[in-house]
Amino acid sequence: MGEGRRKMTRNPRFTKRLLTALTAGLALLGITERSEAQELYLTGPLAGAPAVRKLRLYRRTRFEVAPAVSFSLLDEYQRTILLGARLQFNFTDWLAIGGWGGWGGIRLPTALTDNIQSVNKQRQGLQAGCAANPGGPGCDGVNLTKRLTEVNLGRNLKDQLGGIDWVAAPQITLTPLRGKLALFQSIYMDTDFYISAGPAFVGLKERKNCDPCAGQFTTVSRTTVAPTVALGLSFYMNKWAALGFEYRVLPFAWNIGGFDTAGGGKDNNFPDNKITDADQRFRFNQMMTVSFNFYLPTQYKVSE
Amino acid sequence: MKKSCIGLLMAALGAIPVTGFAQVKVGAKAEAGATLDADAEGADAKADAKAEGDTAAAGEGDLGAEGEGVGDICKIDPAACPVLDMKKEAARPIKESIYAVQQLYVMRARRFEFEPWWNLRSLNDQFVQHTGPGIAVNYYITNVLAIGANFRYYSPFNDDSAFNGQVRRAARVAVPLTEYEWGASLDFSYVFAYGKFAGFGDFIFEYDAYVLGGVGALSTRPIAVIDPDNRNFEYKPKLAFDVGIGLRVFFSRWFALNVAVKDYGYPEKLENLNVNEVNPGDSRNWLASSSSLTQNVELQAGLSVFVPFSFDYRLPK
Repeated sequence: MGEGRRKMTRNPRFTKRLLTALTAGLALLGITERSEAQELYLTGPLAGAPAVRKLRLYRRTRFEVAPAVSFSLLDEYQRTILLGARLQFNFTDWLAIGGWGGWGGIRLPTALTDNIQSVNKQRQGLQAGCAANPGGPGCDGVNLTKRLTEVNLGRNLKDQLGGIDWVAAPQITLTPLRGKLALFQSIYMDTDFYISAGPAFVGLKERKNCDPCAGQFTTVSRTTVAPTVALGLSFYMNKWAALGFEYRVLPFAWNIGGFDTAGGGKDNNFPDNKITDADQRFRFNQMMTVSFNFYLPTQYKVSE
Repeated sequence: MKKSCIGLLMAALGAIPVTGFAQVKVGAKAEAGATLDADAEGADAKADAKAEGDTAAAGEGDLGAEGEGVGDICKIDPAACPVLDMKKEAARPIKESIYAVQQLYVMRARRFEFEPWWNLRSLNDQFVQHTGPGIAVNYYITNVLAIGANFRYYSPFNDDSAFNGQVRRAARVAVPLTEYEWGASLDFSYVFAYGKFAGFGDFIFEYDAYVLGGVGALSTRPIAVIDPDNRNFEYKPKLAFDVGIGLRVFFSRWFALNVAVKDYGYPEKLENLNVNEVNPGDSRNWLASSSSLTQNVELQAGLSVFVPFSFDYRLPK
């Protein structure tokens, strides 16, 4: 028996198998111990728990009515202030469908517009003088300037500028991020970050196409469709109200100054003494919106 | 093959102590906690510990201290002896204070912040975009207050918009333009808000918001548009003030995305709108007679790297 055992242990194949099995066993033992440590974590009291408990669901199954004021950014000739609102229904805490719209009734000219109009008015005075006395000093230059600008400048530049009359944008809103904010280490607010996107119907006023254009500075309205994307933050002040800040882009092409800037020459990049669609310039049309958001019903739900 | 098996066996044996170490470490932490508790309980525990040995002291010290303390009061004044109904006490509702941010994710005090960024856009200049790289170094004196310096380089990145040429051609009106070379400033920054966001209720990240203000220099020059044939301007540094507001989103305790809007204000002498037709090359007539306050609002995006990378909390969580 003992001899038999000795023989077996001396068997190189058996030794090899034994060592392999022992190695695998010990290795498995080592791995198992580590795995158990992980299992403890996975099956512990926090296993499967949400990142946040007792979450205040400010949006879930609530209507949102948000009167808003939007201010256009980086305007060359005039700033537009849109008075409007965002209305939406929040199906979940992160998905809402609704719309944003505004009326662009308030327009403020920029310093560039004032500057051009100031020069324009000065020229009109000189031109009147030269019309009365064509051979007067400097009238050659005045008449040349008149000829070069007669397609582009009317009596008042402000009357030919393009403007946004209204915007209506059905949109989907996703709220991927929500959290809380400690302000000056003493005021605590719930807050969220959202992205809205959809098509926007934009009512525009811009200079009417013309050929010839001297003395033709009337404006017409048209509607264009453009994509719109907004990024925003909501700061909740109580269960039913929040303050909102939103950045929005409305990219489309339009003739903001009513100038002839394109349509002729190489690549249509030179003036052609006509106002056409070629004079419309692509802009991102950025704006900042401040809103006061009301949530209905006034009581929010709370997660587990 | 036999040797390889022995090698594998040794490797497997080597793996066991690794796991063991991890367990010992957990235990060691627990012991350390017990020692701290015993120290905190008071001198009575230490006195007992001396008599009965260190090992026993950790266990008996706590009990002895509490037991003797209550017992002494009861012996001296039985009326003052505290009587607690444990069931009643257990049923009492507890209003535990919960802070919005239990333990700040990032401690900034006595750490440096290196902040490379790119000026993405001039937010208030439709005519010339002043983009370019910048870098700031801040030192946090406290957790919310820092002093720092920054440098910005604009020179090759000034972008004179095609819009300027179109206006000049259409209206025969030239707008004086300015381009920048570099800027530098010393700033104080104050972290006025911090918080955390949950993404789809699944992951959490931390952020903070800060304001800053400071003083420095901005090297600028006009772009010759009124009389470009004769005028050629040199860069000159001007005193500049800056204020700004920023947001940091932390990916780790030392690494964050940093977005800021900063306004640099400085006195600028624009190009003279009038040309001296007698001597247009006289540089004394190239600039306007008075300075005007110019604001340049920039949108900057970059990274924040806090050094040292790690830190210790003063109190346990």
